[in-house]
Amino acid sequence: MAVVRNRQAQLSGRQPRSQAARPRAGGPGGAAAADRAGRRGRGFGWYVLGGIGISAVFVVPLLWEVFRSLQPESAVSAAPSAKTFSHLTFGNYQVLLSGQDDILRNVTNSLIVAVAAALLTALVSMLAGYGFAMFRFRGTNLAFGLVLLAFMIPFQAVLTPLFLEMHFLGLLNNLAGLVLFYTTFNLPVGVYVMRNSFLQVPGELVDAARVDGASVMTTLLSVYRPLIMPGIATAALYAFLFSWTEFLGALSFLTDDKLFTLPVALSNVETGTYGAVNYGLLLAGAVIAMIPCVIVYVSLQRYYVRGLVSGALKG
Amino acid sequence: MTATAGRRSRRLWGQAPSAQQRRTTRTGLALVSPALLLVSAFALFPLGFGVYISLTDWPLIGAYHFIGLANYQSLIHNTVFLESIVFTLKYTAIVTVPIFVLGYALAVFVRSNRPGSTLFRTMIFLPYIVGLVAESYMAVVELQPDSGTANFVLAKFGIVSASTAWLVHTGLALTAISILVVWFASGLTMMLLMAGMQGIPHEVYESARVDGASWWSIERRLTIPLLRRSIALSLIISVVGSFLAFNQFFIMTDGGPGTSTVPVVMSIFDTAFAQMNVGLASAMSVILVLVVGVITFIQFHYLQGDGD
Repeated sequence: MAVVRNRQAQLSGRQPRSQAARPRAGGPGGAAAADRAGRRGRGFGWYVLGGIGISAVFVVPLLWEVFRSLQPESAVSAAPSAKTFSHLTFGNYQVLLSGQDDILRNVTNSLIVAVAAALLTALVSMLAGYGFAMFRFRGTNLAFGLVLLAFMIPFQAVLTPLFLEMHFLGLLNNLAGLVLFYTTFNLPVGVYVMRNSFLQVPGELVDAARVDGASVMTTLLSVYRPLIMPGIATAALYAFLFSWTEFLGALSFLTDDKLFTLPVALSNVETGTYGAVNYGLLLAGAVIAMIPCVIVYVSLQRYYVRGLVSGALKG
Repeated sequence: MTATAGRRSRRLWGQAPSAQQRRTTRTGLALVSPALLLVSAFALFPLGFGVYISLTDWPLIGAYHFIGLANYQSLIHNTVFLESIVFTLKYTAIVTVPIFVLGYALAVFVRSNRPGSTLFRTMIFLPYIVGLVAESYMAVVELQPDSGTANFVLAKFGIVSASTAWLVHTGLALTAISILVVWFASGLTMMLLMAGMQGIPHEVYESARVDGASWWSIERRLTIPLLRRSIALSLIISVVGSFLAFNQFFIMTDGGPGTSTVPVVMSIFDTAFAQMNVGLASAMSVILVLVVGVITFIQFHYLQGDGD
């Protein structure tokens, strides 16, 4: 039975090499193999239990905050008690998304900025990756080095000169200014990933396109597009998550409440009105800030991991 | 630009560049120019501009004068800035090792492709994806005395009193923020190290396993030396991240009590936007860039250096 299961696992190819190899190293003999499989079965049980326990440490606090945000404000601001546990309401969200705080405007600002930065990063990275990979010219390496240099510059450290520069360019209190700022600091990763995507295009395809005499842009859009879509998704995903969660830049470059992105607007909620802070509203706002990240990451995580791996290999 | 390139290539190859070559150069430059323009305008230029401003008494609004190195000289006596550097170093020292050790242990746990490992990875990585800003707001609510979940749970175990006010005592605030950050960041270290571990060819382990070497000695003798690049990368990201910390302190303590939890970036932020002394703030920024550069260089050099 165990041997059959073992074989199936090997055939399905999902078993990693390390485990598939172990019975072989353990020597021949059905009894020994069965014994091993049995022990592994028990080990697997512990592995799953441990995994659930460890994952809980990271996920349960977030789920708990979702639950807390559904409690009425009176329950959030009082000692936790069994009596208030069953009383759940969308009250915090209703108050937050209407009336005085009107955080819907800030959610919209955040969405506009994050989506625009993601699209612009994807577009600019795609063009630059295409140029760096397919059109080697004098100064290619210098130009590529300059783009990667931005990776070494922490934006926190150029905040004050950037503030003055944005002031002169009329980009303060301007969502477009924020989009340009976010795009710039996502370009090093984006350009790097996109250049690698283009370098992986098979040589025959490049030659075929060249012989075909198709224009530069036609080649990009018709021949390469399917091959570079994963890279584009990676670049856009990084830029979206960065822009949606960014705080310091938005805090510095925006002073008009109406233009605040969600993270900055929540600092107003945290400060409260007349010294009274509504913690229910703050939690609801934090949960709203969390949801797009979770959705976008869980649905596109393989593209995120791709970026991490390419970064890790770049070292 | 094209003309210069043409002349240079003539000198090298003794012939005029073909029309094909020139077209390639033109197309390549056109394609990379938007990226170069953005990076130059919003990253490279501010860096140089910052050095220039740091030599002036630039106020946020109004005329400025060139004052040489006076800003840098005054920083030697600026206790808030010096204390913020010491505090940031202390904070970095506190969180770096736990993030790395926890991240390494988690990477060992999830690196095998056993069923479920992808799901575990996703869940452990989730706090990093959600971002420290949203989590800091949540922590503010849960660290309130008498109403927060943290005190409620810890008081049940008799660890602290239910009325502990975490965010108004320096030591408690630093403890709470450090725990939050370790929880937030160890998932990233896990992912980076795991990517490195999965890149190690399996054959490397075969002989060690036949020898019957223990798990830890395999890890120490084989995995860690081969993983040096990933370790360097994850440590650089974590140390530089800690050195540039701002959000969690701004949201959770606002530098308080007093100025006891002000990290470097917050002291720059306050100097520029509260005291409106952009010149001085830029001098601080220049020092920050240098310090971060040196940290990166040392770690990179030390962990990636040749030989073993």
